[in-house]
Amino acid sequence: MQISTHELKTKIIESLKLQDITPEQIDDDAPLFGTGLGLDSIDALELVVLLEKDYGIVIKDIEEGRPAFRSVKTLAEFIAAKRPQ
Amino acid sequence: MPARFPVITGLGIVSAAGFGTEEVWRAVAAGTSGLKPLTLFQSPRYGQIVTGEIQRDLIDAGAPTRSSRSDKLGWLAAREAIADAKINFQNCGDRAGIILGTSVGGSYDSEKFLATLIKQGKMRPRPTRFHECSSTVDLIADSFGLFGPSMAIATACSSSALAIAQAAEMIMSGEADVMLTGGADSMSRMTWGGFHSLLLVDSAGCRPFDATRGGMSHGEGAAILVLESEENARRRGAKILARLSGWGMSCDAYHATAPHPQGAGATAAIQSALRRAGLDPAAIDYVNAHGTGTRDNDVAEAIALKTVFHNRVPPFSSTKRIFGHALAASGAMEAVVCVEALIHQQLPPNPGFSKCDPAIGLEPVTEMRSAPLMHVMSNSFGFGGNNGVLIFSRAEVAPHTRAPKNIQVAVAGMGVIGPGAVTVKEITAPLPPGNGPVHSCGVLKDAAMLTPNQRRRLSRLQQMAIITARHSHSPDPAQRVTIAIGTGLGCLEDAGTFIENLVAKDEREPMPTRFPNSVHNSPAGQVAIDQVAHGMNSAPTAGETTFESALWQGICQLATDEADHALVGAADEMDKYLLSIGQRWGAWNETILPGEGAVVVSLAGADKIASPLARVTRLKLGRYRRPFDAQIEAEWIAAAVDLSKVAVLLSGAKGFRQLEPRYDAVAAALSKLAGRPLEHQTYKQLCGEFHSASAFGFSVAVNLAHEKKCGVLLYTLSQRGAKAVCLIQP
Repeated sequence: MQISTHELKTKIIESLKLQDITPEQIDDDAPLFGTGLGLDSIDALELVVLLEKDYGIVIKDIEEGRPAFRSVKTLAEFIAAKRPQ
Repeated sequence: MPARFPVITGLGIVSAAGFGTEEVWRAVAAGTSGLKPLTLFQSPRYGQIVTGEIQRDLIDAGAPTRSSRSDKLGWLAAREAIADAKINFQNCGDRAGIILGTSVGGSYDSEKFLATLIKQGKMRPRPTRFHECSSTVDLIADSFGLFGPSMAIATACSSSALAIAQAAEMIMSGEADVMLTGGADSMSRMTWGGFHSLLLVDSAGCRPFDATRGGMSHGEGAAILVLESEENARRRGAKILARLSGWGMSCDAYHATAPHPQGAGATAAIQSALRRAGLDPAAIDYVNAHGTGTRDNDVAEAIALKTVFHNRVPPFSSTKRIFGHALAASGAMEAVVCVEALIHQQLPPNPGFSKCDPAIGLEPVTEMRSAPLMHVMSNSFGFGGNNGVLIFSRAEVAPHTRAPKNIQVAVAGMGVIGPGAVTVKEITAPLPPGNGPVHSCGVLKDAAMLTPNQRRRLSRLQQMAIITARHSHSPDPAQRVTIAIGTGLGCLEDAGTFIENLVAKDEREPMPTRFPNSVHNSPAGQVAIDQVAHGMNSAPTAGETTFESALWQGICQLATDEADHALVGAADEMDKYLLSIGQRWGAWNETILPGEGAVVVSLAGADKIASPLARVTRLKLGRYRRPFDAQIEAEWIAAAVDLSKVAVLLSGAKGFRQLEPRYDAVAAALSKLAGRPLEHQTYKQLCGEFHSASAFGFSVAVNLAHEKKCGVLLYTLSQRGAKAVCLIQP
């Protein structure tokens, strides 16, 4: 099932309390961590909580999530593939 | 003064692997893991994961009932250590003190208060009586009669390494002859839920340095060392178990939880400890590694070992699978392991290891074996990139430990955030009336100087610390900067919200951003990142004398030439629980309003500052006797300070009622001793009542000394027995 990247961006902004950023300003392919939004490993853990709360996807090892957290697009694809139906 | 070298004359330990040094050493030597499934509390989500929980009854073992779980653990270890050293503190006057590492403090007990409130809607604050991290220090000091310097150090997993180092400084500098030191930490729902939220727990139990390792195991425990000057130990004919010959501290200044990937801070701390001990790396015969079993820690630590020791890394092992990770107590428990290894001349194994990780490229000791051991090293690394390294040596080895110098310390800059003050002028103006039921700092005035990430992620307490530190000092990477920012109660709001959420949602939807903020060293750690300060990074906590404890640590780093500048301070914030508990216990009234705030001052050697605000010419820490005797106190002050230099006595009166008459009585007795009336001023009418308010007092004293060109004596009493006196001169 497809996930709207706009919806996902809204959730990310809310979950990470990103200030002065709108979903439109986040590029689907832009890196989420390091440069780009300047997120770090603790923000990644907040996204782990978000994935479980909103999509029922449980991540027990952060390495598992690492490829998914590359960009909004990869995250949306990861959710679409892993989401319990 | 060679006789002031610190030696160890007594050990005590309680752990999941056994009680007492003998039982514990048997488990360590055999590599027997003490990990078992959790029983201490209900964990709806992670219930059966193995932990280093102590499953013996602590009251049956003799611990005092009126105390927190951490207090009980610490007390039991102290009792054993004191018996082992055969020391009678009645003969020590105020020359025996205590410094312990504690990070969880009374959280396990305080969580019962929150659970009752959330699940049953009942307000029962009794379990929070022992919440403070300094509670264990106060309990042991009162119980065994210690009247020397006392404080707790709360720098997460490196706490007790820093505590032991500071205790050694007390002895080297001549402030004490004997110190009880070490650490105590109990398990708690907060750290349990917290480390799970960071995905740092290995459900199969930790396997340090192994290729398949998946994280840490929780643990708890306490270990206490009796540390004394060699001179004192020889005079009383004590058996010397080992020497503490070196100690080094550093800060990664990199990230709130992750270690520096190249182990830069760990390397610096190891090198600093070797320098202090006057030893070459080749002299180290064994390293007890921090080795938590997390991917990042073990790799970073291995890189640090290879950087320092090149291709001759000494035999090393992590004993974390034996005890679990007892957080603030782990450094002290591993100190006991190191001393026992020196005594038995045996290398402890590293249970949990079976396969070498190519990313590490080193193999720990896998089975206990005999080896000639002269010098051994213990590593402890904590949240905030906080590193502490200790070196222990055989008793018969001649020590080369570098002694501190006598230096003049001056205040170069100062930053203040209080309810009514952010500038020097505002500090001396009384708080405006009608400021509501509390003296809140409100919206932080200089929040604009914070980065967007600092604003969104950090607690108010951390933000206050960063802003005040910036006002006191401009970051300068060319300078060696150490940071000691204490706190009485830490980031209350983040810690409270984190636990509240865990309890209410049965460990679902944790808050990984809030957890790292809950450790007391999170303000100091964030200031280090902001200031790029790689020197020692400490967060002392000692009730009302928290600031003076930080001041002492900062001055020590300057006196040992480990830093060019010391940023010392203290900060506290209020939250809804503190307000309501204080209300219930009658702590506040119309004139005593709860406050909050932060003060950071920049210190350096007086010869290094062109136009200092003031000089700190004397600082002494101790504990008062009960019943309180103003005459004895005045004499203690007069023995420490030249009263002819004092024009004003500044105290924290207009705060808690119990302390008010004591300050007045000491002022009167001191005037008599001085032979002239000393002007007695107070400062809590300027800042409200909070644990670290004496930091605010210090800023007032600096202003007074600077503007009126007179000596100001800052005198502080903690409700729980600690005291401090500090002379500030123009």
